[in-house]
Amino acid sequence: MRRKTVAMVAVALVSLTSGCASLQSSATEVGGVRKTDERSVRDGGTITVALNSDPDKLDPTLAQTLVGRTVFAGMCEKLYDIDENGTLVPQLAAALPTTSADGLTVTVQVRPGLTFSDGTALDAEAVATSLLRHRDLPGSARGTELAPARTIEATGPHTVRIVLDHPYVPLTGVLADRSGMVMSPTALKKYGKNFTNHPSCVGPFRFVERVGGDRIVLEKDPHYYDAAKVHLDRVIYKPIPDGNVRLANLRSGDLQIGDQMAPVDVQSALTEPKLQLFNSPSLGYQGIGINVGNVKGLGEKPGKIDTPLGRDVRVREAFELAIDRDLINKVVFQGMYEPACGPISPQSAIAPGVPPQDCPERDVAKAKKLLEEAGVKTPVKIELKTSTTPEQGRVGQVLQAMVKEAGFELSLRPTEYATMLAETDAGKYDVFTSGWSGRLDPDGNVSNFLKTAGAMNAYGLGDPEIDRLIAEGRSVADPAERAGIYDELTRKVQDAHALIYLYRQKNYVVANKNVAGIRVYGDGLVRVTTAGYTR
Amino acid sequence: MTKYLLTRLRQSLITLFLVSMVVFAGIRALPGDPALALAGEERSPEALAAIRESYGLNDNIVVQYARFIGHALTGDLGTSSRTGLPVSDAIAQALPVTLELAALSLLLAVVVGIGAGVVAAVRRGRPEEWLANAIALIGLSIPTFWLGIVLVLGLAIAVPVFAASGYVPFGTDPVDNLRRMVLPAIVLGSGLAAVVMRQTRAAMLDSLSADYVRTARAKGLSRREVIGGHALRNSLVTVVTVLGLQLGHLISGAVVTEQIFVLPGFGKLTIDAVFTRDYATLQAVVLCTSAAYILINLLVDVIYSVIDPRIRLGGAR
Repeated sequence: MRRKTVAMVAVALVSLTSGCASLQSSATEVGGVRKTDERSVRDGGTITVALNSDPDKLDPTLAQTLVGRTVFAGMCEKLYDIDENGTLVPQLAAALPTTSADGLTVTVQVRPGLTFSDGTALDAEAVATSLLRHRDLPGSARGTELAPARTIEATGPHTVRIVLDHPYVPLTGVLADRSGMVMSPTALKKYGKNFTNHPSCVGPFRFVERVGGDRIVLEKDPHYYDAAKVHLDRVIYKPIPDGNVRLANLRSGDLQIGDQMAPVDVQSALTEPKLQLFNSPSLGYQGIGINVGNVKGLGEKPGKIDTPLGRDVRVREAFELAIDRDLINKVVFQGMYEPACGPISPQSAIAPGVPPQDCPERDVAKAKKLLEEAGVKTPVKIELKTSTTPEQGRVGQVLQAMVKEAGFELSLRPTEYATMLAETDAGKYDVFTSGWSGRLDPDGNVSNFLKTAGAMNAYGLGDPEIDRLIAEGRSVADPAERAGIYDELTRKVQDAHALIYLYRQKNYVVANKNVAGIRVYGDGLVRVTTAGYTR
Repeated sequence: MTKYLLTRLRQSLITLFLVSMVVFAGIRALPGDPALALAGEERSPEALAAIRESYGLNDNIVVQYARFIGHALTGDLGTSSRTGLPVSDAIAQALPVTLELAALSLLLAVVVGIGAGVVAAVRRGRPEEWLANAIALIGLSIPTFWLGIVLVLGLAIAVPVFAASGYVPFGTDPVDNLRRMVLPAIVLGSGLAAVVMRQTRAAMLDSLSADYVRTARAKGLSRREVIGGHALRNSLVTVVTVLGLQLGHLISGAVVTEQIFVLPGFGKLTIDAVFTRDYATLQAVVLCTSAAYILINLLVDVIYSVIDPRIRLGGAR
């Protein structure tokens, strides 16, 4: 009965806020996972890909944004990549790396005969130069990922040896992302920090020009080793933040591919016969973070937070028990995302822990009882900081309606992104919407967030057991054993109720039907290497 | 005239200097750390420290301001912290887009607004006046974003003659340029056309009942000469004032229109810079907009004296 009441309230709220958008649509209309379209394509032509924001620097060492990774997928290949199934495969490397018995020496074999877009040959020296730059350049966003690498050197024309401070299993996953991108040493030498304006890597397309806020233009790279597989002459990436505008442009034919489409736009797109949909589950998560110990800001020792939620884990548990994840997914995302209750996506290379169907059920009676046991005065007043997107606003409203029944009075404070980061990092919040785009290796989804004084542990979580499990997960090579460690870690994190995982987004990509060969994988990137117009 | 111009130029420079200080301090008063906004999802303490160091964010605000002004005087507006591209390039790319959009909107507003205003005044009490007033009221009341989306859905998708978004420079392909600019110009110009129409109508009504018009009629001048040569010419002083004030709004008010039509102009540059706390871009954009306002005001004053020789500028006896 209660569930029904909440559902009704939530539906009413969302109808009000979303202008009575269709709520009847279900995931079944969207169909299952669809990652590619294998129809044959002809040579030539330009496609335009709409991104949901303007990428930052086009320098793999300094870049920070997900949309930037999509552009890199067109022009900067990596030592390793993931395939359709999320399995690590060699890309610029000749094979997966070999690791010494003690786990301290990793050897990477580089493919021979590769050439950068500026004509420079790619060899082991070039790889070592890039990896060292990723590790050491001031301001590098890759520094933490590559910090365990004590030495990186070319030991042969195509062999790179990496000596680690301690066993570091996530390294291959790390080298399948921007840390594994190899930049032309000639371009690095010539442009230095200004490489961002003249990026040169190995990739199907090479950089032509960038007009800030408007477009990034790439053209087919004749130096690319697999150039025969590349059909398009040009790819243009255009930042179009508004989902409606992206969709309108897809409909008018000005755009061929729309990246990161929201469920509501996907539902509209499905009514258009000339558009098609691709989707893949993501590696990330979305949830809400609770301040349990962030008193002095990030990187500092956790302290005591004097709020009912911060003081008493029972109150946090009650808060979580008042939430119905399925309902959030149905009401806000038309059933098109996945409920989640752990940090590691089932898409991850090692996917242990709790599948969506095992997430704790909503239990208002238990939640009320826990609040009574904790002896707090109800309603417990909490402020939730959300981002300013309409979807996050709706998530907040649904949460508000749900937790009210258990005895919480949730007020919403929509906060602009940069301000929210500053305030939550400084610990000036009760609860905030917290999300992560996800990494292939489970370590990338837990260590910075859950380790005591971790670089992104805005929750102020400090649990020696969790720290131990994170360290173990990084150093144990055996996948089965690792899965066991992350399973235990997930349960510990659930018990702490500091970061309540709510759902996982799916990567929805809408494309014109006359375009095929696009690939949409679990890392959320749109790959256009083999894309083209259908014959 | 020269003396007046020199005085106004001097005042303008002082204004611009004061604006630069207010802008500089105002931007830094925004909540949110630019280093955090830049580092975003993957913020590590080392990366944050390096970003702050590399953009001089650790220095006190006076030092930062002095550095900014020093560089700006040599034409160096800095580097965008987000894209790493020179801000002057970004401005050089955005300026033509916004200027073209403003010019087309202005053209539309002048042609439609003055035309409708004159008709409404001359045909007072007739259906034409009623129609012109109704259209002006609609033009004033429709929110820009709504009109933009309706035009995209109704015209760009249904009639592929118009494009829904994007910009192609006029020099590259004039036809494609106009295909893309007509809808944004209608959106941005509609509100202004309505304002111009109402101003023109009011000023024309005043003029038409003035003694000099009666005299002109008595002299036997044709209706066309009376309306065009006497009444309209005198009415234009008010209209030009309004246009001048509104042109500044056009440049800064292009924000919403540029977002809807994905035009890489000043508005879009400003929004992106605000959200990413891109100080260098933001202060340069705001300064350029302020300079445009100041320049437009100056031009309006000069145009007054051309339209109506009775208006004498400072320095005349």
